[in-house]
Amino acid sequence: MSSGVAVDLENITIRFGDFTAVKDANVNINGGDFFSFLGPSGCGKTTILRAVSGFLEPSEGRVLIGGNDMAGIGPNKRPTALIFQNLALFPLMKVWENISFSMEVAGASAAERRKRADELLDMIALGGQGDKLPSELSGGQKQRVAIARALCANPDVLLLDEPLSALDLKLRQHMRTELREIQQRVGITFIYITHDQGEALTMSDNVAVMKAGVIDQIDTGHNIYDDPATPFVASFVGENNVFRGKVKSISGNEAVITTNRSGDLLSRITPAQVGKLAVGDDAMMFIRPEALELAPRDADSKTTISANVINEEFEGNSFSVFLQGDGGKQIKMSVPNLGQDRISVRGENLSLRYDASNAVTMPAGELASE
Amino acid sequence: MKKKMIFSDFFKNNGVVMGCLLIGLVSFWLIFLIILPQLSMLDYSFRFNLPPAEVGGPKDVYTLSNYEHLIYGSDTTHQTYNTVDLKVFVRTIIAAMLVTIFNIFLCYPLAYFLGQSKGSGFVRLLVVLLIIPYWINEILRAFALRIIFGDSGLLNEALMFLHLTSEPIDFIRQDIALYAGLGYAYILLMLFPMYNVIESLDRNQIEAARDMGASWMRIHRRIVIPHAKPGIVSGATMVFMLSAGALAAPQILGGPSSLWFTQLVYQWFNDSLNWQQGAAYAIVLLASTIIIVLTVMKIFKVNMGDIGK
Amino acid sequence: MSSANLIRVALGAYLLIFFSYLLGPLVVMSLTAFNSSSFPTVSPWACFSFEWFDVLFNDKHIRDGIYYSIVIGIGTVILSVSMGLAASIVLTQVWPKLRSTYYTMIIAPILIPGVVLGISTLVFWDRAGALLGATDGSFLHGLFHNGIFLTILGQSSFIASYAMLVFVARLQRFDTGLTEAALDLGATHTQAFRKILLPFMRPAIASASVLAFLASFENYNTTTFTIIDYKTLTTVLAQKVRLGINPSISSLAFIIIVLTIFAALAFEAANRNKERKLAVQQGKVSANKSGVLPGFMTGNPAAILLVLLAFVVIVLVGTAQKYSPEACKVQVREAKQIEIQQRIKELREARRIKDEARAAEEAEQPAQAPANAPQNSGAFGNVFAPGNLSEEEAPKPDPAPSSGTGAFGNVFDPNNLNSE
Repeated sequence: MSSGVAVDLENITIRFGDFTAVKDANVNINGGDFFSFLGPSGCGKTTILRAVSGFLEPSEGRVLIGGNDMAGIGPNKRPTALIFQNLALFPLMKVWENISFSMEVAGASAAERRKRADELLDMIALGGQGDKLPSELSGGQKQRVAIARALCANPDVLLLDEPLSALDLKLRQHMRTELREIQQRVGITFIYITHDQGEALTMSDNVAVMKAGVIDQIDTGHNIYDDPATPFVASFVGENNVFRGKVKSISGNEAVITTNRSGDLLSRITPAQVGKLAVGDDAMMFIRPEALELAPRDADSKTTISANVINEEFEGNSFSVFLQGDGGKQIKMSVPNLGQDRISVRGENLSLRYDASNAVTMPAGELASE
Repeated sequence: MKKKMIFSDFFKNNGVVMGCLLIGLVSFWLIFLIILPQLSMLDYSFRFNLPPAEVGGPKDVYTLSNYEHLIYGSDTTHQTYNTVDLKVFVRTIIAAMLVTIFNIFLCYPLAYFLGQSKGSGFVRLLVVLLIIPYWINEILRAFALRIIFGDSGLLNEALMFLHLTSEPIDFIRQDIALYAGLGYAYILLMLFPMYNVIESLDRNQIEAARDMGASWMRIHRRIVIPHAKPGIVSGATMVFMLSAGALAAPQILGGPSSLWFTQLVYQWFNDSLNWQQGAAYAIVLLASTIIIVLTVMKIFKVNMGDIGK
Repeated sequence: MSSANLIRVALGAYLLIFFSYLLGPLVVMSLTAFNSSSFPTVSPWACFSFEWFDVLFNDKHIRDGIYYSIVIGIGTVILSVSMGLAASIVLTQVWPKLRSTYYTMIIAPILIPGVVLGISTLVFWDRAGALLGATDGSFLHGLFHNGIFLTILGQSSFIASYAMLVFVARLQRFDTGLTEAALDLGATHTQAFRKILLPFMRPAIASASVLAFLASFENYNTTTFTIIDYKTLTTVLAQKVRLGINPSISSLAFIIIVLTIFAALAFEAANRNKERKLAVQQGKVSANKSGVLPGFMTGNPAAILLVLLAFVVIVLVGTAQKYSPEACKVQVREAKQIEIQQRIKELREARRIKDEARAAEEAEQPAQAPANAPQNSGAFGNVFAPGNLSEEEAPKPDPAPSSGTGAFGNVFDPNNLNSE
């Protein structure tokens, strides 16, 4: 672990008039972490970022950066630098002037500024492009200039507000790797806002998943994917099949739920909800498409689901089979492409099985809307 | 409490120095250049024209006499009406309206033509040609018309040369020169707002309508004019207000006996040195023109935000 | 086909009428500046002359007026542009519920008659001086009754609204994220304003300044009340035009028109040049196809017109230095004399016929008179008779039409006689 500066949000609530954008958020971000806020648009993640950068004051609670309360300190006095969604490069300034703007306002000489800007330009592989205007750069280049400009201020914390959303897919994937590399090289705390789970999972040390102003879960990407804390997280991060039912029995950290169509199903209770389920409760069980497979004849009925095939799609590296599920929801099964011609025939009744340790059960709740 | 929050937000967004500068400039403008002057003019209009020594003395009381003078003249018994001034007032308002309507009809075709044929060199040349008279002094423009409309002006010479008339026509005394001058003075303030809105109309809308078989008239009535309405009302408002408040054109182009209402105001101020009376006349002018404009805006369902676009 | 042609003809006619109405008076006025006739007119055309420009340049009132107009214009630009800019920035931030009220307030001055603004300014500052207890002769009293001070305030009260409109249009395209980015990078609010917003607004500030200056320069309705004992160009002009017109005003108008055309063409040429550069940059147009014309004029009719106009003005000024209309003026004077003489002749003829008739009536009188009578009788003969009799036989209205061969003979005859 490098020795970056920690950021702590203590009981943050942010209201705009009658509307509560963020409700009682508690987040501890370790120094030097790459930390992501993941959530659908309008969930309040940008609001949190603006509270950290100082563009708005939380209605309640405290923002601590390196242990210091930031109340009443304006954005220009905080040790943070923000990379805007649209990058907000100054269109009338040359690239090097953009990068060294923070030095300019601090009163550094032109020579000093130019020197530092050139160093940063080399770092982002744009050496010699300093005299161009931002409008003369490509999307990816602008992106890197924005990063260099933020880094030039020597911030303790770099805040990134969906900076990759305007790029095309290829470039976005490339920039993910590059961002992660830059973060590891400079070793400061990155706080990253995104609605793209792929970005969050690949880059982050820790991810906070947000829904309508509330943080549902904070954990590593791996844990969020495998052990979602709420139905929202389970359905928002990655693809998931949901089965609704009532808890029939609980033994240790495993539970059996009774569903309408698929009978009794066994799975483990997600770690965050152990002890919070009782027999008779409404529950939801989630199984990833890749955790389903075609069942052998003698499979245990508590981990098998039988359903009619609606459709099958070939996706290159895999086949997706869609089956008639519970309550109008389709069940999706993902089968790796190992040279088969097809997996199923439309209308055919299939038996699918799963491993109980790959399925999680939790109290019923709101799902992410598609 | 809420107001305080707005202010604190404002200073937070702009910083203390910039915030104070912005607020300071705006309040100086609104308070010292607009609101207080208008109020003090209103206050003046209710006072007697007293010698300096008596100002603030027992005789300095509020009165309606300045307004009564417009209606009844110097007749304190209120038996007869001040027909001279009232006639001038009514004539000013009606003539300003006619000038406005004349300008609407004259400008609409050109605004449509310019607005819908963008980009071509010819149109750009026309726009440059339009801008030139816009920046020529109002007085000089009136002067130019006076050269044309004068007794031995170009128009009379031409008419006599063509034997259309044997005697020079006195355009000035008959107020023809004045109306032509008023129409001329503010025509571009009608054209440009119209042109701007029509330019923003998507050409495809017109083509779609034509494709659906709409007649030329219907296209204008149902598509172009509704779209251009804010521009038309905006232009009409400006032309009406400026014509009703015009001073230079009537002074230069008006006949010796026919007055414009602003000239009465001018006379009270500069010739009779009766500021209070002049202020009352000015208030009447301001109030009546504003009421007319607001009524028209209400009828055509246009709001203030459209003015000046 | 024919209906399309009809529309085209109608449109052409309409454009012609519109532009004649708009530009015709200005053209006629410009022409009168070059007519030596002492009344501004184009017909009858007397002589092509630059004398009215001399009259103009030697007119102290106009020179003073221009000077004060410029002083007031500069003051108005500074005040109204800064107020307009502040008002437009506040407009972008004002609480949504207050916005329409606020907008109505800052747009209203455009709609208030200029006369009313002038009066209210005058009345208010007079009042303010009295309230502050400023006595005659004190600094405040002097300031509040100073025509320049009052005119700048009076004009700024509505010109600021025009400036505000220019700024609002530009601000709509401003990304407030840029200011936030600057703050985030450590700039103070003042720095963010100076380094980010102000450079962005610079084109708008330039055009608002030009607009404000021109609006101030040509304002009459407000100025005529607030100027008190000073003079601006417009008030001088208005006074002159009302008291009696002469073509030196036309010559001023001509200068202003030429300057305006210059400015408009320069602006248009610069715009086209910029567009063309952009097109070249984007590879839409080949960079260098021009052979004869310098680069900036290629595909730029405005630039070509600009150069032509400059050429014409140089020729005109050059001619004005050398050209003297004296010969022509003498001609005109002589032509007038001929006209007068023609009339004299006619009168004489009438008189002669009358006399002859009388002579025929009084048959006993000798028939001597008709031969010599014209010398001393007739309408003009009578007028000049005393002079003619007392001096030599070389009167100015020399009644010797029979000897002359036309106008020129008349012109040169007296001179020739004198020089010999």
